[in-house]
Amino acid sequence: MKLNIEGLLVYFPYDYIYPEQYSYMLELKRTLDAKGHGVLEMPSGTGKTISLLSLIVAYQRAFPLEVTKLIYCSRTVPEIEKVVEELRKLMEFYSKETGETNNFLALALSSRKNLCIHPEILHANIVVYSYHYLLDPKIADLVSKELAKKSVVVFDEAHNIDNVCIDSMSVNITRRTLDRCQNNVDTLQNTIQKIKETDAAKLREEYRRLVDGLKEASVARETDIYLSNPVLPDEILQEAVPGTIRTAEHFVGFLRRFLEYLKSRLRVQHVVQESTPQFLKDIFDKVCIDRKPLRFCAERLQSLLRTLEIADIADFSAVTLISNFATLVSTYSQGFTIIIEPFEDRTPTIANPVLHFSCMDPSIAIKPVFQRFQSVVITSGTLSPLDIYPRILDFRPVTMASFTMTLARTCLCPLIVGRGNDQVALSSKFETREDFAVIRNYGNLLLEMSAVVPDGIVAFFTSYVYMENIVASWYEQGILENIQRNKLIFIETQDAAETSMALEKYQEACENGRGAILLSVARGKVSEGIDFVHHFGRAVIMFGVPYVYTQSRILKARLEYLRDQFQIRENDFLTFDAMRHAAQCVGRAIRGKTDYGLMIFADKRYARADKRGKLPRWIQEHITDGSLNLTVDETVQLSKHFLRQMAQPFRQEDQLGLSLLTLEQLQSEEMLKKITQIAHQT
Amino acid sequence: MDEEPERAKRWEGGYERTWEVLKEDESGSLKATVEEILFQSKRKRVIESHGQVRLGMMRHLYVVIDCSRSMEDQDLKPNRLTSTLKLMEAFVEEYFDQNPISQVGIIMTKNKRAEKLTDLAGNPKKHITALQKAVDSVCVGEPSLYNSLSLAVQTLKHMPGHTSREILIILSSLTTCDPANIYELIKTLKSLKVRVSVIGLSAEVRVCTVLTRETGGSYHVILDESHFKELLMLHVKPPPSSSASECSLIRMGFPQHTIASLSDQDAKPSFTPSVSCGPGLSLGGYFCPQCHAKYTELPVECKVCGLTLVSAPHLARSFHHLFPLDAFTEIPEEEHHGDRFCQACQGELKDKSVFMCPSCHSVFCVECDLFIHDSLHCCPCCIHNQSGP
Repeated sequence: MKLNIEGLLVYFPYDYIYPEQYSYMLELKRTLDAKGHGVLEMPSGTGKTISLLSLIVAYQRAFPLEVTKLIYCSRTVPEIEKVVEELRKLMEFYSKETGETNNFLALALSSRKNLCIHPEILHANIVVYSYHYLLDPKIADLVSKELAKKSVVVFDEAHNIDNVCIDSMSVNITRRTLDRCQNNVDTLQNTIQKIKETDAAKLREEYRRLVDGLKEASVARETDIYLSNPVLPDEILQEAVPGTIRTAEHFVGFLRRFLEYLKSRLRVQHVVQESTPQFLKDIFDKVCIDRKPLRFCAERLQSLLRTLEIADIADFSAVTLISNFATLVSTYSQGFTIIIEPFEDRTPTIANPVLHFSCMDPSIAIKPVFQRFQSVVITSGTLSPLDIYPRILDFRPVTMASFTMTLARTCLCPLIVGRGNDQVALSSKFETREDFAVIRNYGNLLLEMSAVVPDGIVAFFTSYVYMENIVASWYEQGILENIQRNKLIFIETQDAAETSMALEKYQEACENGRGAILLSVARGKVSEGIDFVHHFGRAVIMFGVPYVYTQSRILKARLEYLRDQFQIRENDFLTFDAMRHAAQCVGRAIRGKTDYGLMIFADKRYARADKRGKLPRWIQEHITDGSLNLTVDETVQLSKHFLRQMAQPFRQEDQLGLSLLTLEQLQSEEMLKKITQIAHQT
Repeated sequence: MDEEPERAKRWEGGYERTWEVLKEDESGSLKATVEEILFQSKRKRVIESHGQVRLGMMRHLYVVIDCSRSMEDQDLKPNRLTSTLKLMEAFVEEYFDQNPISQVGIIMTKNKRAEKLTDLAGNPKKHITALQKAVDSVCVGEPSLYNSLSLAVQTLKHMPGHTSREILIILSSLTTCDPANIYELIKTLKSLKVRVSVIGLSAEVRVCTVLTRETGGSYHVILDESHFKELLMLHVKPPPSSSASECSLIRMGFPQHTIASLSDQDAKPSFTPSVSCGPGLSLGGYFCPQCHAKYTELPVECKVCGLTLVSAPHLARSFHHLFPLDAFTEIPEEEHHGDRFCQACQGELKDKSVFMCPSCHSVFCVECDLFIHDSLHCCPCCIHNQSGP
């Protein structure tokens, strides 16, 4: 159908449209008009992707000078494929409707085996790829450097974007890294020797270039051709490479010295935490390495690798990592911390020293993106509370909106179970974690649910350790045996192969009527990437509130930083983080309007306003006061009732006019009024 | 657990939140709207019946009753098993009333096994006695869809192609314990043109959705006991037969009931090979026109020569399914300017709407409309006009 969105003609490749899609496009258009950034939350399964694509493509066609390119970032390869599929549909619709051949070029970067290096791809109108291509400075430099300023960047499934930013800037160094780095340095040394004998002119040429400094990069940045690289700070560009590392031999010697220093730092017996200035002072005192050459380390290494014409960069990942670390540590005096742990917390007897160079400020990695591109849109099914993302990512959005799901029938049923049948409060909080009564009641809940929920149930625990404890205890009490009469049990483990095997068998059991339960962990692979459509997830049970492991030093440092820099209290952040993961977990069950599922929050703390209020609006609005503090029995009764209601025939006609609209219905006054209420501005 | 005060109280089940649709009329009375709701639900069933389609008149239906642990659940009173068996009795009565030349068999599944409670037969009494006995059976273990279906299919596949082969499963459990891949069996069922329908007592199970979709049956989940009854009664009407099913002429015998007169010297009480009431001696009976075997009841398949024996009224009763009476048109009372009395019961037309036969334009009240469609299957006024001069 063809839509008119505030004067913009949008081709929408389906005959029907959801009201919230229309509303979403309205907001998106306003964001583009204002040339600003946006944060938009819309439940999964309501056609976010196609709404985004239709609107932005229409915008590009209408105002080719305003928006030249769409950069669509998604998280995983299957998601990227889904986007491409929708895009293909849209393009077919365009050529059918307009009759002209398609002059739009779209490009998807998924993996190396699909990579095309034809120069024309630089002019693609739409680029679809993974977050890392834009956020990770190592890759962004190669791939995304030349993207035009007038692009629209969309981050889909962006609820974890701050963690992606942080991961892309953090460096972990172990003994193994250092050993491999040592080998790299040796190889470099040998190659330099060889080249010196055969082609000394080349090295001289490089030396001359370095004296001139990194002028080229500086010119490029001023003229705004490239996306800036956060690893390459502005100041370096103004200066020449310092004399101490200008010749190749000197630089290799410098690297050796740095490496020896890191090795000595890893020989610790106790945990060390220090700031970057402290680290710099220490390195100066111990091995007389100044801050300045350290800052040029990454760039100098690149130059050397180019000069030596080394083809396989992957072999030199260790030394690249170390040199990036050197540059980062000497550039940022804030936003990073260095933690050296002699052993892992879980295995205090095995020495396995790790140097964590941890980024605490996600805005550092994403800053160039916000600065460079005129519109950046962050969107996901779960972004609540919306206002925290602009704060931690440090940007000012022009639109922030959360959309609800219009439903012809209430297909989601969030229930908060606060008590067992014996009135014992259910909670995964630390004090009652080992409590026998709580574990028994949790087991009872799962047992009862396994008897009333058809096909698949997914249960999420707060951590692997907690899951192991509970499952062991259930086994001893015979609860597992009883559950297995109703459904088979599968468990997610940290081993990826084992987990995918379990998943496969789980789906098989759901398919052939035996029924199955998947026990998994919030923040695990299952909670993030796997959709449990229809019968694969008729109920999700969230055992406890999935707080992050708060004893971790890295987390503590980050919380402290957030408090000092952004005035976000530790508790607020922890709750926000826990609730977004809980929302992600329970959201796995509902992947569309014809789908239905129970969402069971088994912890009495969910009933509190500060927790409940942080759930996405489309879940929150279905939590009634009556479902806040249920016992296990009440939950079972409500679930039975809900599942019977949902099993009644549901046809497309039932949705039409309510949650599914034809063009005529969409244009009616009354509906347009209703649509304005869908978007909830913050 | 039933005492907990909560939203979904059992005793409210029958009228799912009807108060939300209630509105007071001018005098402040609710009566009219309650009647409206009842009226709508009555009316619905009539309208839903399909028009001119080929129907499978000779039906062979296996009813599979789940007797697994979950049947002990007390959400139907007194428990699921008792409630189901009670409704089944009513179903069997109604089934033979509407489909006199069809047959039914009952299978029970529990403890991963499936057993025949009764074989395919055309006599309601036997089934009803078996059902009454089954009330005391213990519910244990899991049901097995696979075993039940394959047990039913073993018999059904030998049934002639012009009859409809049906399986109706009443499934309470949400799990099934199968010895082999059920999807293979579904393929077999499909190729044998066996139609499988499922009535779920708890929730929608994926494998049943696939099973019914593939074999062309229907899948419903009950809301409460009255809904259960309604769903079960849907299966009383013969389903539209698939276009692929064979058509063939079948031989049938129409024996007369004869009582040997006592004055006749040759008259001797003779032996009846009937299964239903047990072998016995009687004077009168139906004699098979082909082999002169004697039966006390019709319809029956002759044990000796295999001829189907029916009486003419039996066929006639099945006949109305083929030519269903058209639904009467509903006219609001204000727009109707004719008779103020129902043509059938001669009562005054008081309801909000009246019903008019599309062919003879006679008007009827709601009750008569239902009676005509459910029991008479023909419009009395049309018949009257035909027989007149």
